Amino acid sequence: MINSEVKKNKIDSIIRACGILLRMNKARPDARKSERLYYQMLSNYFTRLLNARDEGKFVAAHTVFFPTEILYAMDIVPMHTETTTWMISLFTGECDDILSAGKELGLASEICTPHRGLAGAFASGVLPRPDVMLWSNLICDNTAKSGELLMEINHCPGFFLDHPFQHSEDEMQYLVGELDDMIHFLEEQSGQKMDWDRLAETVALIDRQIELFREICDLRKATPSPFHSQGFLELLTIDYLFPGQPEAIDYLETLRQELAEKVSVGQGAVSDERFRLMSFFIPPMYLMGFLERISQEFGAVSVTEPFFTYWGEGRLDPGRPLESVAEKSYMIPEMRMYGPLDDRALKSIVGCAEQYKIDGAVYYADIGCRHSCAMVKLFKDILNDIDVPVLTLDCDVVDPTITSEEEMREKLERFFELLEER
Amino acid sequence: MFDRFREVNSTFPRTVQILEHKRQGKLVFGWLCTYVPEEIIHAAGALPIRITGHREETELEDGSAYLHVNNCSFSRSCLQMGLRGEYDFLDGVVGGSTCDGARRLFDLWRHYVKTPFHHVLTIPRKYTPEAHALYYHQVVRFKEHLEQFLGIQLTDEKLHQSIDTFNKARALLKSLYELRKSDNPKITGAETMEVLNASFHMPKELFNEYLKDLLHDLSGSVNTHKGQARLMVTGSVLTNPELIKCIEDQGALVVTDELCTSTRYWSDPVVLDGEVTLLQAISRRYLNNFPCARMFPSDERFNRILGLARDFRVDGVISQIIRYCVPYAHDLPLLTERLKAQGIPTLALDVEYGTSGSGQIQTRVQAFLEMLEAKKR
Amino acid sequence: MKALGIDIGSLTTKVVILDNDGTFSFNITPSGDEAELSAKAAVEESLDRAGLRFGNDSYLVSTGIGAKFVSFTQQQKTITTCLARGVNHLFPSARTAIDVGAESATVLKVNERGRISDWVNHDKCAAGTGVFLQQMAKLMMMPLEEMSKLSFDANPGPDITSTCAVFAESEVISHVHRDPPTPKEEIVTGIYRSVVSRILTLCKRIGIEKEVAVVGGVALNSGLVSILEKEMGLGVLVPDTPQIAAALGAAIIARENIAKGSYR
Repeated sequence: MINSEVKKNKIDSIIRACGILLRMNKARPDARKSERLYYQMLSNYFTRLLNARDEGKFVAAHTVFFPTEILYAMDIVPMHTETTTWMISLFTGECDDILSAGKELGLASEICTPHRGLAGAFASGVLPRPDVMLWSNLICDNTAKSGELLMEINHCPGFFLDHPFQHSEDEMQYLVGELDDMIHFLEEQSGQKMDWDRLAETVALIDRQIELFREICDLRKATPSPFHSQGFLELLTIDYLFPGQPEAIDYLETLRQELAEKVSVGQGAVSDERFRLMSFFIPPMYLMGFLERISQEFGAVSVTEPFFTYWGEGRLDPGRPLESVAEKSYMIPEMRMYGPLDDRALKSIVGCAEQYKIDGAVYYADIGCRHSCAMVKLFKDILNDIDVPVLTLDCDVVDPTITSEEEMREKLERFFELLEER
Repeated sequence: MFDRFREVNSTFPRTVQILEHKRQGKLVFGWLCTYVPEEIIHAAGALPIRITGHREETELEDGSAYLHVNNCSFSRSCLQMGLRGEYDFLDGVVGGSTCDGARRLFDLWRHYVKTPFHHVLTIPRKYTPEAHALYYHQVVRFKEHLEQFLGIQLTDEKLHQSIDTFNKARALLKSLYELRKSDNPKITGAETMEVLNASFHMPKELFNEYLKDLLHDLSGSVNTHKGQARLMVTGSVLTNPELIKCIEDQGALVVTDELCTSTRYWSDPVVLDGEVTLLQAISRRYLNNFPCARMFPSDERFNRILGLARDFRVDGVISQIIRYCVPYAHDLPLLTERLKAQGIPTLALDVEYGTSGSGQIQTRVQAFLEMLEAKKR
Repeated sequence: MKALGIDIGSLTTKVVILDNDGTFSFNITPSGDEAELSAKAAVEESLDRAGLRFGNDSYLVSTGIGAKFVSFTQQQKTITTCLARGVNHLFPSARTAIDVGAESATVLKVNERGRISDWVNHDKCAAGTGVFLQQMAKLMMMPLEEMSKLSFDANPGPDITSTCAVFAESEVISHVHRDPPTPKEEIVTGIYRSVVSRILTLCKRIGIEKEVAVVGGVALNSGLVSILEKEMGLGVLVPDTPQIAAALGAAIIARENIAKGSYR
C-alpha cells in the first residue's frame, strides 16, 4: 500500500484546532501568554509542513527523540511522525480509522498503538508523503524496526540512526559517526548542504533551552507548585518539535517569567494543593482534559515527570556542534527510560522524588508499551522504600477502549483517599 | 545415543558438571544472547552457561509481576528462575543491549537477583566498519571488566585455546547438520535440539567429546527418518524439543532451523587470518554472525535464511514467534514474501516460550503439510 | 448513634450494623436496578431485623459501585479503604488482603491501624475473577459448588496456561472433549490453579506479607482457597462471611466518625 499524493492529508485539522485554541486563549483574561506562543508555534510548524511540497521544500519524516536540530540547520522541513499523527487523531476524532489502517497493513496488535497508528496514517494518506524517512532505535524495538516498512509505504529512501545503549567514549564516537553519515545521506538526497554555522548557533540555543527547562522545573519545586498538571506536554512538545529554535526560547522565557511570578506570590496551579505527584510515562491523550479537571478537583498536581521533564546534567559546546548534538541525545529526560537502570539511574529518580517533596506517584502503564510496563514494579519498589505510594493505572495512550474516565476516576479517588489517610 | 545430552538438559541448571564445577570452587558465568563473546568468559577460566527459561511452558507469576504480562514469556521465564534462586550458583551474568525483553530482564536482574558480576555490552545494530569498531571496544571493555573482577590477565594463549575449543564445537555442529541434508536423515529436528540445548549448558570440551561420539555412532547407524516434507523452523528463541517433535509427529522432517538456539548460535567460526588480533577476530565473528532480527538491514538475515532453505532443500518454513517478540514479528511479513518468491510457503505460529505444541498447533501443521503435498502434485 | 455500613455491589448489596462492643449483624440482598431505592430498602430491612428503625440516630457510610447513586448516606468511601478497615477488624494480624469478586481481583496492603498502604487490582480481563469461574462451571456443566467439592483430593491436573480467559476456555473445552476425557476433578483443579496463578501474579506485584486474608464472594470457594494456600505456601485467613468485609469496614468508619463527633 503506497502513500499517494492524491489523497488529501489532514495536517490542516491541526492548524484549524490551533486557531481555535488561540482564539480561546485570547478570550480569557487570565490566560497564559506562553500558551498563546505555544499554539502559534504549533500552527507555524504544521503550516510549514502543509505547504512544504508546494514550496518545493524537502521534507524529512522522523521518529521520536530524534536530533531534529540537524534538519533545521539544513533547512529541511521536519515531520515528527508520532506527534503529527496523534494531534490529527485528537483533532479529527479519527483514531479508529488510523488504527484500522495500521491493522490492515498486517501489523500485529502487539505493536503499540502509536506505531500501528503512524504506519496506518502514512498508508491512508492522513500524513503527507515525505521525501525521506529517518528513524532510530530510540526508544524501543518497535521504533527500531518500523523504518523499513515506512520506507516501503512511502516509497522513499531512508536512514536508520543507530543510537548506542550506553554512554562510553567509543559509543559517543560511534554516534557522532552515525550523525555524520546521516548528514551525508541528507545532503545527497536533498541537494542541500549542512550549514555548520547555523548548527553551531542552534546548539548554543539548545544549551540555553535546556537551562530554561531546568529553571522551569526548579520553579515547580515550590509549594504550591505553579505549573498545571498537563503543562508538561507543552514542555516536551517544545523539545520534540523546536530544538534550538528562537521561538522556543521565547516561549520558555515567557513561561519561566510567568511561573516565577506565581511562585513569588505563592500562587499554585490548583487553588488548594493537597497532593504533590510524580508522574511516570504518558497519560492517555484523550483524557487530558479529564485529568486536568481531576487535578483541580482533588488539589493534586503533577510536579515532576522524570521521563519527560527531568533533564540530565551537562552543558553543550557550540564549538563542537556534532558532538554536542550527540551529547544532548543522552541528556534528554526520555533516556531515563532507555537504561541501563543501574543504581545511579534509580538513585536519581529517588532523589527527584525527595527534591520535589512528592506525596505519591502515578504510573501510566500503557498496555502497548512493553519496556515501560517492565519498569512499574521496579519504580514502585524504590519509591515505596522512601515511603512514597505508587498508583498503577492500566491504560493506552491513544486507544479509548482500554480504560474509561469512570475507571480512572475510581482509581484516582482510591489513591487520593489512601494518601489522605496517611 | 542422545541420553547423555538429555541428561544434561533434564537436570539443568543443577547438572552434574555445574555442581562439580562449583564444588571445585570454579566460577560459572551466565550469558544471554548470541552477541555475548563466550570465548572471553571461557579464556578467563570460567564456565559460560547460557541463561534460558523454564524447560516447559509454565505459570510465570513472579516473571509477570516484575516484567509485566506484556513482555515476552522468554524474558519472564528467565527472570522468574533468577528470582526463585535457580541461578544462584552464577558468579556473573553478561548480556547485550539486544532487544527490549533482554534489556529489561537485565535491569531487573541487576536490582533483584544481584549476581556478583554484572556486565552489559552495547551491541550496534549495523555492520559498518564503525559498528565493528564500537563492538570491538565493547568486547575489550568486557574483557577488562572481567579481568579486574577475577584479578587475572587474559593471555593470547588462553584466548587461542578458547577459540579453538569453540570453533571445534561449531565444526562438529556443522557436521551434525550436514547429516540432515540427506533425503532420509539419521537425526530428527527434535534430537538436534537436545544436542543444541546441551551445547550451551555444559563445558564445551566435554560437549565436544559427547558430540564426537554421537557423530561416530550416527555414522555407524542405519536408522533413518522419513517425512512427507522437509521443513525449516525459524523465529524466536526455542529450547523445548517437544515443539519440534510435535511438528515432526505430523509426518514432516525438520531438516534445519534458524533460531537463537540453533544456527544463529553456532554458524560462523572465529577466523584467524593473521591480519587481526585474536580479540578483533572474536569481535568480528560475533557481530557478523548469523543475524538476529534486531540487526539492520533485515536483508542480511533474510539472505542467510534463503541460503539455508536452499542448502537443506526446504519445502516449507514454520515460523514460531513468541507473543510480544517484536523484532521477529516485524520481520515476518517481509520474510514470508522473500520465501514465497522462492516458492517456499510459510506457516506462522504464535507461541509462548516453552510450548510443547497444543492440539491447535498440530491441526495447523497438518493443514500446512497437506497444502505442501498438494503443491507437489 | 448507630454505625452502619453499606456496600452496593453490582450483584448484591451488603449492610452491616456495628455494635459498640465490636460485634455486628449483617444482611445481604440482591442489588436492584434503582440503586437509591434498593439500597434504602436493604438498610431498612437490616435495621428491622435488628429491631431498630431507620432514623436520625443512624450514621451511614456507603461504598461500592452503586455508592455514587445513593444520596441518603452521611459519607461515601472507596471500596479499598473500606476493605482495609473491615479486614483489619476481622483479622487484626492481617497485612495482606485478597478480594476476589465477580469482576475484578484486588490485593491490598493493610497496616495495623486498618489503613491501606498500597493496593493493586486487575479488572482488564476476566481471567482471575468470579466471572471466569462461572464461565468454566458452565463449560464443565456443573454448579459452582459442585466444582468446588470436586477439586479436593484430585491429582495436580493439566496446566491451563493461557493468560487470556478466552483461550483458557478453548483449552478447557479440549480437555472435556478429549478421548479419553481428562477426569473432571483434574480439569477443575487445572482451572483453579489458573485462577490462583493470576491472583498470585497480582500479589507478587505488591509483595505478600503475613498474615494473608481472603475476602469477597470467591473466598467461599474452599477448593480454590485450598489451592491458593498450597501455591502460596501459606495458610490464609477466611472470615465466615467474606462478602461483607467492605460493608463492615464502612461501618467501622461510620463509628470512627461518630466518635469524632462529625455527624449532623
